[in-house]
Amino acid sequence: MRHCELLIIGAGAAGTAAAVAAWESGCRSIVLVDRGHSPGGVLLQCLHEGFGLSAFGEELTGPDYAGRLAEKLKYTGVQLLTGTEAVSVEKEKVALLSGRSGFRPLGFDRLILAAGCRERTIGALPVTGTRPAGIFTAGQAQECINLRRQSPGDNVLILGGGDLGMIMARRFTLEGKHVIAVIEQGRSCSGMARNYRRCIEAYRIPVICRSTVTEIHGEGRIQGVTLFHLDNGEQEYLPCDTLITALGLIPERELVKKLGEPDWLYLAGNCSRIHDIVDSAVAEAEKTGRDAALR
Amino acid sequence: MIGGGLLGCFAARNLRRRNISVALLEAREDVCTGVSRANTAIVYSGCDHKPRTLKAEMTVRANAGFDRLCRELDVPFSRCGSLMVSLGERGNEVLRRKLAQGQANGVPGLRLLGGAQARELEPGLTDKVSMALYVPGTGTVNPWALGIAAGENAAANGAEFFLNTRVMNISAADGGYILETEEESFFCRCVLNCAGLAADMVQALIFPPTVRIMPDAGDYLVLDRETENAPGHILQYEPEDGGKGLSAVPTVEGSLLLGPSERENGTDYATDREGLAFIREQTLKLLPEIDLNNTIRSFAAVRPNPRKVDGGSIGSFVIENPAPGFWSFIGIKTPGMTCADELGRFAAKKAAAYLKAAQNRAFTPYREGVRKAHGLCPERRNALIAEDADYGEIICHCEDVTKAEVLEAIRRGAVTVDGIKRRTGAGMGRCQGGRCRQKLVELLALEMGIAENAVTRDGTGSNILGGRYEAL
Repeated sequence: MRHCELLIIGAGAAGTAAAVAAWESGCRSIVLVDRGHSPGGVLLQCLHEGFGLSAFGEELTGPDYAGRLAEKLKYTGVQLLTGTEAVSVEKEKVALLSGRSGFRPLGFDRLILAAGCRERTIGALPVTGTRPAGIFTAGQAQECINLRRQSPGDNVLILGGGDLGMIMARRFTLEGKHVIAVIEQGRSCSGMARNYRRCIEAYRIPVICRSTVTEIHGEGRIQGVTLFHLDNGEQEYLPCDTLITALGLIPERELVKKLGEPDWLYLAGNCSRIHDIVDSAVAEAEKTGRDAALR
Repeated sequence: MIGGGLLGCFAARNLRRRNISVALLEAREDVCTGVSRANTAIVYSGCDHKPRTLKAEMTVRANAGFDRLCRELDVPFSRCGSLMVSLGERGNEVLRRKLAQGQANGVPGLRLLGGAQARELEPGLTDKVSMALYVPGTGTVNPWALGIAAGENAAANGAEFFLNTRVMNISAADGGYILETEEESFFCRCVLNCAGLAADMVQALIFPPTVRIMPDAGDYLVLDRETENAPGHILQYEPEDGGKGLSAVPTVEGSLLLGPSERENGTDYATDREGLAFIREQTLKLLPEIDLNNTIRSFAAVRPNPRKVDGGSIGSFVIENPAPGFWSFIGIKTPGMTCADELGRFAAKKAAAYLKAAQNRAFTPYREGVRKAHGLCPERRNALIAEDADYGEIICHCEDVTKAEVLEAIRRGAVTVDGIKRRTGAGMGRCQGGRCRQKLVELLALEMGIAENAVTRDGTGSNILGGRYEAL
């Protein structure tokens, strides 16, 4: 069985930064695995600008930011395995890796899990009604538009006024789609003020606050939702052909869920905690990389 | 055969045990898309029906043969056993009655347990449990996995499937019947009407109605497989107020299925606020430690409730033979999935006697499922990838489903995203297709040679992508 000192699962911003930092701290046996074709993770589908102000002193797009990290990685001896999925991690410090070239165990001394996060889906909300097509998570819609050049739909409602919801409201608008409104539970959008200014105010996108969706209508494709106003209890039917859910992110730790908290396991990036900005995920991951390297 | 649900697929399979040429007409794009697509997934033992009734006899026989059936069809079956649970004297009385009824029906291994004994078996149960009826033979199977397997086996044995083929009219002809569909007409000597929710309407195309289907609906919740304190047995809660109880089913996929609620006149698959609230409430009464935040999905099932034309209720399956060579199966609801093979055998026997058909010696009852990578030891999984590299590429990360399995599902007839889900489990996990759906769209479009925006979730009108495609 092959063996390495440090295994890092996930070559997004956090995993890549942790790998570089660990190498620079002197660890010389590092394997970095990612299911994608190239490092970068979710940054690759974030075509908008605004990344890297504190790390690089300028505003980069997601792919540019990922490119800078990948460039640093190139000058290390970290072994990068793309197109490779870690299917399980055993308490005997073995990871099972699947790729088109085979299914193999890889032993390690220490593990950094940098698997990012997943999106909360509409199934987790007490929403009733039908289950038509035309409902996307914000990340899914972003993948469709930015990576696949597909159109999710024309008349779009966005449920959730966090950063991802606001960014997707702008993205749809830029594609010439009609964003009917962003629906937010709180008194104002919950994401960063910068995103509110640049995405909502700049494009005059309506925000319906103190509201949520309680029912989905439509048989084949979604035709509308029932909007519930939290303050006065009033309900309203809102037609749409696309519903985007931006309901928050959950750290993706399923791989290590059954392991408890062994001293060889580190978490980095959004799978440690959800970060507002990538710079903060990277800074944290670099520290984690150094810690894991020096043990 | 009219209708490609569980019953239609099993009837077709059993008809092919004889030398009967079989055409199955299904209105939708795939099999098992109607009533069969959603139910409680329980393989019942036979305690719920009065002795010497059709339902009691078929259920007991079907349950005894379920291991063999699922081995033949290569379908996962979990004989996990069930506990019918009561919290007070009224419920206890119901359990005693079910015990006597089950024993009279010949259900093996029944035992009445006290509250403490029940909690030893299921520590997550409320401490208010007063009694439980342990039924070791009860099990669970995935309804669509079972139906699709039967359909594949029927097709492998020569049954012809015509999908997207809705029967519009039926007329008697010399020595048989003519079934008119939008495209073409079929002449057959014998008709088996297994049209689920539409079975009464199909019969009414040629004969006066005797039974009407008044659909009712029920809601369900699905909890993630990581849910703590989930039961290992199927639990059936018999509430003290005499109202609707609840089933909690640890499914073969590992998730926990809760439900159903009950409401009349449910005609669509929309879930209902009160229904879902009712399930949450009942669940917490039975399993107080369960964290309902683990909910990954809710859905509704529609049941074909048979009523007499004058409105009176009917407890049994309705099997009618209004004219020679024509049989209708109407109101096949609980325990319809358990009895699907028994009902199919029954149908085949009637048809074979009518057609004087001989045994088909070439019939094989065996079918192989889509080969799964998940659960194999590393060496075997590695060998699988050496054979086909697509087995190394994981498409659904939650359920560990590989590209090879998705492609095989498409080769076997999946034409929609849900069709792939039903054949491989892709998209059934905690992210509910969040990460794999667009990959499935891509693979479906490629394999079927259609545009990506023509790919649907579950048939006409449910296109995943929408709007002005050219704009992008």
